[in-house]
Amino acid sequence: MTDFRHSNAPLEMEVYGYDRVVKSHCRGCHGGCGVLVYVKDGRVEKVTGDPDCPINHGTMCSKGLAAPRIAYHPDRLTHPVRRVGPKASGKWERITWDEALDTVAERILAYKEKHGAESVVMGYGTGRENEAAIYRFANYLGSPNVLTAGHFCYGPRIATTVITCGSNPIADYANNPACIMAWGNNITISNPDEYKGECFSQALNAGAKLIVVDPRLTRPAARADIWLQLRPGTDTALALGMLNVIVEEELYDHEFVANHVHGWEEFKARVAEYPVARTAEITWVPEEKIRAAARLFATTKPGVVQWGVAIEQQVTCADNNRALLALMGITGNIDVPGGQMLFRQPPIRNVSQFGAHKALPPEQAAKRLGGDHFRLAGNFGIINPKYVWDAILTEEPYPVKLLFFISSNPLMTRANAREVHVALEKVEFMAVADFFITPTAELADIVLPAATWLEMDYIGDFWKRHGWLLPRRKVIQVGECRSDHEMLNDLAHRVGQGEHWWDDFEQGLDWILEPSGITFQEFLKTDRLRGDVTYRKHEERGFSTPTGKFELYSTKLEEWGYDPLPQFREPPMGPVSRPDLAADFPYILITGARQPGFFHTENRQVPVLRELHPDPEVEIHPDAAAREGISQGDWVVIESPRGAIRQRAKLSEGLDPRVVSAQHAWWFPEKRDPGHGWDESNVNILIDNDYSNCDPAMGATSVRTLLCRIRPETDADRDRLAGVQS
Amino acid sequence: MTRYDLGIDEDLCWGCKTCEVACKTENGAPYGIKLIAVGEERPALPDGSLSFVFRLSRCRHCEVPDCMEACNFDAIEQRRDGIVVLDQAVCGGCEACVTACLYRAITFDRAERVAMKCNLCHHRIDQGLLPACADNVCQAHCIRLVGAAASPEGEIHDRV
Repeated sequence: MTDFRHSNAPLEMEVYGYDRVVKSHCRGCHGGCGVLVYVKDGRVEKVTGDPDCPINHGTMCSKGLAAPRIAYHPDRLTHPVRRVGPKASGKWERITWDEALDTVAERILAYKEKHGAESVVMGYGTGRENEAAIYRFANYLGSPNVLTAGHFCYGPRIATTVITCGSNPIADYANNPACIMAWGNNITISNPDEYKGECFSQALNAGAKLIVVDPRLTRPAARADIWLQLRPGTDTALALGMLNVIVEEELYDHEFVANHVHGWEEFKARVAEYPVARTAEITWVPEEKIRAAARLFATTKPGVVQWGVAIEQQVTCADNNRALLALMGITGNIDVPGGQMLFRQPPIRNVSQFGAHKALPPEQAAKRLGGDHFRLAGNFGIINPKYVWDAILTEEPYPVKLLFFISSNPLMTRANAREVHVALEKVEFMAVADFFITPTAELADIVLPAATWLEMDYIGDFWKRHGWLLPRRKVIQVGECRSDHEMLNDLAHRVGQGEHWWDDFEQGLDWILEPSGITFQEFLKTDRLRGDVTYRKHEERGFSTPTGKFELYSTKLEEWGYDPLPQFREPPMGPVSRPDLAADFPYILITGARQPGFFHTENRQVPVLRELHPDPEVEIHPDAAAREGISQGDWVVIESPRGAIRQRAKLSEGLDPRVVSAQHAWWFPEKRDPGHGWDESNVNILIDNDYSNCDPAMGATSVRTLLCRIRPETDADRDRLAGVQS
Repeated sequence: MTRYDLGIDEDLCWGCKTCEVACKTENGAPYGIKLIAVGEERPALPDGSLSFVFRLSRCRHCEVPDCMEACNFDAIEQRRDGIVVLDQAVCGGCEACVTACLYRAITFDRAERVAMKCNLCHHRIDQGLLPACADNVCQAHCIRLVGAAASPEGEIHDRV
């Protein structure tokens, strides 16, 4: 552990005259960092890191530091509103919580009565630790339809790891991995779901080798021992090619393979189909680099794969994850110190129990939209968004009449944004709970003011897989804002499911903690809880899978009618699958590289964060830019067969000249009209959401790889895409 | 006498810009003005490949500060501990310091017509606290106050 210093909290209090400091747990992203919240005269004045927290060791990111500026933002919605003009008219009137929730409850019950509970779709975005409460509400209502990012974000990690080895293996940074393979994930910039960039950084400083798989030159790629700059969308092929080397050269863990895996012979036969020469041809990665990376990873132990969402937003979503799991598994890195740990939580009622999945009657579960199509997703309660838009627009297989989005802005974040817009315009009733009136919320009937993390009590990291639970403590109340949990607890009583909820949501937190023998108030007196850490649990008990083994060959996928082994498939919107399109749209467009300060669609109205990135940017190689007549900083038009958007060119030699990289989730809160520029720079306008552009098992929409063309913007383009600017 | 400066290991920097926001929240510089700024460089390596590093632009608190020499209003002073302080209340807005600084570390607030730069959070240092950017915000632990005596790590007593 590197030595570091930090200021003295009591002295901070004295110097600045703060009244108190509260230890809490940030959720500026999915959450995860321990923080100290300084308060003066009832207002939060400052947030800093908690040096004692095992996740961040006192360090922070820009989003967490800016939390008070989000909470006290002048545009913040601080009371419920009802729309009084047409959709997207921006005309709202203030109403009370009682009026708002009674209206929502009345509509839910009426649609349930007339069209069935399945016509009511609850939704969240990336998940703000409200996931289990939303599922609980939907399950007791009888709706199998909870629309989330789960089809292509974290949900696939849970689904594929559960069917392969029983749980999600987490990089055990605290025990110094000797080799880290960061695959499509820049943990120093993005918000990975368990440990954060600080632990990764410390592991490198302690001497870990680094392999980075990324089509872009990131700072970790530049620092890596080996950087594999692959063709976008070919991750499964690259992983299978590396596995081929590891199997051919017998670099795998023979004991683990002999005793703990299922389907070794079939798996060997599959990886034999990916010799290095073929893999190099598919992936653009030179043969010697594939070999070198495979050897380094297999022989430097303990080793971890630091993965993330990028590999999940592809048509090979499930197979990408399963191929990387195979890399973790056969190298003997599962459940060993400094390897890939199957951590356990303290004894609590976990998200699955709290989510009340067993309460959903089987006949209702059978109605899950797309459940018999995307069967891996369906078995984990996850649906593909297009199924919902189709059900609204065509009323097939049945009508969806009500949407309730909680911390979700699907107009900005789901593929084929124009179809999303049409669906949200048509749906009979929509409620949204959020911090601000977003472009999605502008189409709602009722908008409810959601609390930020500074405004709620909660069991932090309740849903995560690193085994830690950290108290989140309510510090302030802003206007009439309520936490999603409290809001749903109240709404549950109004729709007749009160017996499954509580008089006060704190009793729900007590219920979660009950198996640990403590109440929430007692939990608040602790700094954190952690589950028992035991290594190599499989040696005693096997893995929690149907065969009790680490399933290289998945019996579950086989049962559901899928290839039980990972295989590479070409991206449907790529130059190999669509040479006809590639003639007109010659560049591979990748999307969604993260920017510090933003969390998807959030924080663009916060000046200290917006000034980190004032405008949306598309990265392009200087050679490609020269060919297209584009200079650094130019506004450019990016077009796909679906439409056109504008972003600013950023020239970067760190990309292959055949690839361009556009940012996602851009809207412009400073544009005061109700559209807020939702369709100006929104990369999802370009992206196809057809079912053929989705992973067949998980329903993950391929938003990371498509075809585009790019050119300098004309005045006419600007007028058309952005409206005339001053 | 201790001489203070920021010690920054740019090789460790990940470019997360947390230091920029830590500085902003402490010092309140207006939109567009950064007293510490993270920039990108992509130098070609001898083998023809490309590197990618972040460079931090900030006041170096030079031993012989050109900015102080250039200032027409005596708004810039060097303290005995080496911290070069620009006093905005005295600044006449002539921009001579902006031109004089070799490191381009001084910015100019056009609205208020004053120069701004990193004063090394001397208001914090004088109270025994670390500068905002160096106060263990950095995930890479790459920014430190050089020349400081270590602060004792305080217990957090008031939890709720």
